Amino acid sequence: MADGLRLGLVLAVASVGLSLIFGVTGLTNFAHGELVTFGALVAYFLSASGVVPEIPLVAAGILAVVAGAGFGWAHETILFRPLRRRKSGNVSLIVVTIGLGLFLRNAYLILFGGRPRPFDEFTIQTAVDLGPVSLRPKDLVVMAVGACALLGVGLMLQRTRLGRGMRAVADSRDLAAASGIDVDRVILAVWVGGAALAALGGVLQGVSETVETDMGFGLLLLMFASVILGGLGTAYGAMVGGVLIGLASQVSTYWLSPKYRIGVALAVLIGAILVRPQGILGRRERVG
Amino acid sequence: MSAIAPQKLVEAESVVAGYLPGVDILTGCSLSLAVGEIVGVIGPNGAGKSTLLKAMFGLVAVRSGVVRLSGDDVTNLAANALVERGVGYVPQRENVFPSLSIEENLRMGLYLRPHAWTERFDVVTGLFPLLAERRRQRAGSLSGGERQMVAMARALMMDPTVLFLDEPSAGLSPIFQEQVFERIQQINAAGVSVVMVEQNATRCLEISHRAYVLDQGRDAYTGTGDELLGDPKVTELYLGTLAARRL
Ligand SMILES: Nc1ncnc2c1ncn2[C@@H]1O[C@H](COP(=O)(O)OP(=O)(O)OP(=O)(O)O)[C@@H](O)[C@H]1O
Ligand SMILES: [Mg+2]
Repeated sequence: MADGLRLGLVLAVASVGLSLIFGVTGLTNFAHGELVTFGALVAYFLSASGVVPEIPLVAAGILAVVAGAGFGWAHETILFRPLRRRKSGNVSLIVVTIGLGLFLRNAYLILFGGRPRPFDEFTIQTAVDLGPVSLRPKDLVVMAVGACALLGVGLMLQRTRLGRGMRAVADSRDLAAASGIDVDRVILAVWVGGAALAALGGVLQGVSETVETDMGFGLLLLMFASVILGGLGTAYGAMVGGVLIGLASQVSTYWLSPKYRIGVALAVLIGAILVRPQGILGRRERVG
Repeated sequence: MSAIAPQKLVEAESVVAGYLPGVDILTGCSLSLAVGEIVGVIGPNGAGKSTLLKAMFGLVAVRSGVVRLSGDDVTNLAANALVERGVGYVPQRENVFPSLSIEENLRMGLYLRPHAWTERFDVVTGLFPLLAERRRQRAGSLSGGERQMVAMARALMMDPTVLFLDEPSAGLSPIFQEQVFERIQQINAAGVSVVMVEQNATRCLEISHRAYVLDQGRDAYTGTGDELLGDPKVTELYLGTLAARRL
């Protein structure tokens, strides 16, 4: 249960960007998992690889998030903004993201190798009992960081001008522009912020489990499930969906083999959208 | 260049524009709006009326031709920059933020000048008192007519000098349509020049100082509202069914 909450929070952090990017640009990013992996790899490289002078994991994690933000910036300015300008169709863009994901996974594999590796710090920790649940201290830290990040995103969206701009662009691009919002800037901010969060998700997942070149890809389906369950294009939906999917898939491992984790998550998803097609927080608007 | 009469607020000259590469929707469309005018744009479905407004407002790329605002070349300037220069726009569809309340919609309209809120809110709700009463209601739950009010109010928050309206009366009951046209005349009387695309051609021509008939991506006819109403060619091209009904 507690482990499910942990996975749920990590999923929520990692998928906010996926949902928001879809919300403001309509892009379904199949390479989103690679943004997650990117964060974990950078943190590993800085803290445990031995290639560069090692720095503490916390510092490496912060730098990884910053690097993730830069990676998101590059995605938007080098690739997706020019493609949007050319009016590339949605299907071609999806194919582009699938190709990009494949490319990045293989690049990671060449640079990092195929062996799963843990971070040096906090590798082996004994669980401590907290009332009915027992948890490793590092998982507690992961959960706390995840929860704080989500709270921060929520406040940002609700309270700041940029946050309101993001919600406006997600609602309707032309109308946001007609209200004086610089749509391109907002989209760039979403890429930067979303990719930074994905990188943070990767670092957190790496701390709890191990760092692998396809770890983000492994989470991709769960992230899509979270985003769709919560309501496509909404940030809060991704958060709620992430926590629920994480709980459902992890709790199921009490009875079922972990192999079925994704299957369980998808079953939850299918059940939920049969009842509420627009997702938990998605909207069904009256038209006219 | 200095020959441009200063009272011309908006000018579009031989604008070519479209969405998909290689497909021009506007094939050389011109329009001008003088200070204080209401200019109507009518034409059959798919003629490119909405596209013309979007091209002038920077939402659709202009491939050739010029758009000028008070004599300055603003071709392909981004929409948010035009808002800063005093242009307001109400789209045909998705004209409100459905998940936001009426008040939040109006605040969005003032995104660039949040400090002017109290003053502008009073002015705009003076025009649309209903919106102040129901300020907490979610815009997505409003009727089409109420949405149109919110949409026009949102566009007026920035105190624009020009307003582009895309089919403000579409889908409304005759009574609501009449209200909308009255409001537009009020807004115009308060000093806002208006370009209005309409499918209610007769009413549009009646309240417009001048109008354009758009057909297949270009301006086919232009004249004062009365001239166009009386022009048999216009009647044939576009007003046919409406005029027949009026007989
Ligand atoms: N987003 C878009 N992508 C591609 N083509 C479009 C798009 N929007 C409009 N078109 C095409 O442009 C043409 C003109 O459309 P436009 O909306 O400007 O017509 P309109 O005169 O406003 O019609 P209506 O009276 O139905 O509103 C149509 O053939 C339409 O199919
Ligand atoms: Mg139209």
